[in-house]
Amino acid sequence: MRRWKTQTPEGALDVLENECARKRSVEGCIMQTYKASGYFEVQTPTFEFYDVFADEFGDFDQSSMMKFFDRQGRILVLRPDLTTPIARVFATRYADVPLPKRVSYVGSAFRDGGSVAGAVQKEFTQAGIELIGQSSPEADAEVIATTIRALLSCGLEKFQIDIGQAEFFKGIMEQTGLCEETTEHIRQLIDQKSFVAVGELADSYKIKSELKELILELPSLFGGIEVIDKIKTKSLGARAKAALDNIIEIYGILVDYGFEKYISVDLGMVKGLNYYTGVIVKGFTHGVGFPVCGGGRYDNLIGEFGRSIPATGVAIGIERVISALNYQKAEFELPVVHTLVCYDTDRSDAFKIAEGLRSNGLCVEVWTGGGDIEDYANRRGIGGIVRIRGNGVIDIKNLVDGTTTATTVSELLGGEGK
Amino acid sequence: MKYLTIALAKGRLAELSTELFGKIGLDCPVIKEKSRKLIFTDEKNRLKFMLVKATDVPTYVEYGAADIGIVGKDTILEEGKNLYEVLDLKFGACKMCVCGWADKALPTGFIKVASKYPNITRDYFSSKKNQTIEIIKLSGSVELAPLCGLSEVIVDIVESGKTLKENGLAVIEEICDISARLVVNRVSLKMEKERIMGIVDRAREIIKNDNNN
Repeated sequence: MRRWKTQTPEGALDVLENECARKRSVEGCIMQTYKASGYFEVQTPTFEFYDVFADEFGDFDQSSMMKFFDRQGRILVLRPDLTTPIARVFATRYADVPLPKRVSYVGSAFRDGGSVAGAVQKEFTQAGIELIGQSSPEADAEVIATTIRALLSCGLEKFQIDIGQAEFFKGIMEQTGLCEETTEHIRQLIDQKSFVAVGELADSYKIKSELKELILELPSLFGGIEVIDKIKTKSLGARAKAALDNIIEIYGILVDYGFEKYISVDLGMVKGLNYYTGVIVKGFTHGVGFPVCGGGRYDNLIGEFGRSIPATGVAIGIERVISALNYQKAEFELPVVHTLVCYDTDRSDAFKIAEGLRSNGLCVEVWTGGGDIEDYANRRGIGGIVRIRGNGVIDIKNLVDGTTTATTVSELLGGEGK
Repeated sequence: MKYLTIALAKGRLAELSTELFGKIGLDCPVIKEKSRKLIFTDEKNRLKFMLVKATDVPTYVEYGAADIGIVGKDTILEEGKNLYEVLDLKFGACKMCVCGWADKALPTGFIKVASKYPNITRDYFSSKKNQTIEIIKLSGSVELAPLCGLSEVIVDIVESGKTLKENGLAVIEEICDISARLVVNRVSLKMEKERIMGIVDRAREIIKNDNNN
């Protein structure tokens, strides 16, 4: 046999029935929540041209995309995320659609760890929403609130949604007048929350003392909304101040949603600053070492495809939510077969009975032969066996208590079968 | 209360870390004993200490299997994991260097470089020096490589330089300073902010005082 014939590649998984049932139920709850708020599902291709994701932002590292070629030699990639294709749709197929518009999606995304340590599956499932064509804080708050409702709908209990603002850091660095390279260095240190290193670096440049204090504090500016009160009094430029006001406004709206207990602030969230143009969102919970959701405002992305419109959205990592639910030991219903229908000779009666029971909401298997019926039923955890004896006579064996009762086809189908 | 799990790099760093935790008031005396146990629990403070191989500390912390880790900057640079690197603990100080024959300058053309740190080596030679090299990954006694002609130079951490000197080698270029760092999982810092920041703040105070004395 060939060497790799029986294996799956690293980072790709088979999802077997119980896990699959849980995954579908989580996806179902989330998608239902999205739909109930007017976010209807769209589907984009699993693979796209490399050019769709290759951009100035550099949000997707070339080495992290799984690439192949078509017959004309063009580079194709398995989609590394689902938001970028939706941005493409809004600049092209949806160019004339009335705005604002809400869409949702669920599907696999693919990222190759490559040399960068990813510590994640290469194929993973994301479900998310985008609110396109509106730049208001109401829009940002709505996608955050909808995400919270989606997480609650699948049974997640304790989680925390952090909000930050891309413009805050950009504003402060603009005030310092430091060059791009130094700014990037400071950004990295703040992103790593390297409290001391940020200080040492800031010390080596001539920055106004008040600004320097602020930069020093940035890595520790996370926690409740009071974090903002701590620095509101400082001499902030218009850009940084507007960013804080934006967070306060979004927070205020989320209070009206009744969701303030899930919200924290992290002004030191400075990842993907080329991509995000406003609020940045990340969700955390116990038992998962990675964020369970992430997103924010990305007003420049659709412009990359030739149509400048604002947009905001959040994606949920389905596998991570499932890990969190497992950690929290959340109960969920395993799929079960209620009844096994078997027959001696009257096959058409058997099919009729099976359909009749199914239409009453039961999960019914029909015996297809081979081996011992009761053995099979017990191994499969089936609740009962309906045996069609012939001449309309039926035995029902309850496998839970072992009792058998006799009935007839017409009785069992409650008259419908006649 | 949930346990906070702390991963310590086995060896000298673990000893120094235990000392630091002792000063913070989180005593972990069991670690000092010679034992084959891998996890030590402090019931009073709801802490778990794990002894792991240095190169694995960032992995444990990135996945959240450990909330906090103490490990050398060399390992952090080499492993490139997504962590919060909150504190420079100052101990375990040394330098990452390019080393070679004491009487020869670094050749400018294509060279072979032996190292335990292929990523740091690649990054330094390709991004900073624009020099094409072949990296030979070794797991220990890297100084042997130039001595037996396996490579022209090596990239390794240098503490006192004694091993180099005794073998006729010397530091040719310094890449960066190395010391022990306190790293934290990105989710743990948010979900257990009070407790983790409590440890971080106390450690920061102690380091500040130690370095002022």
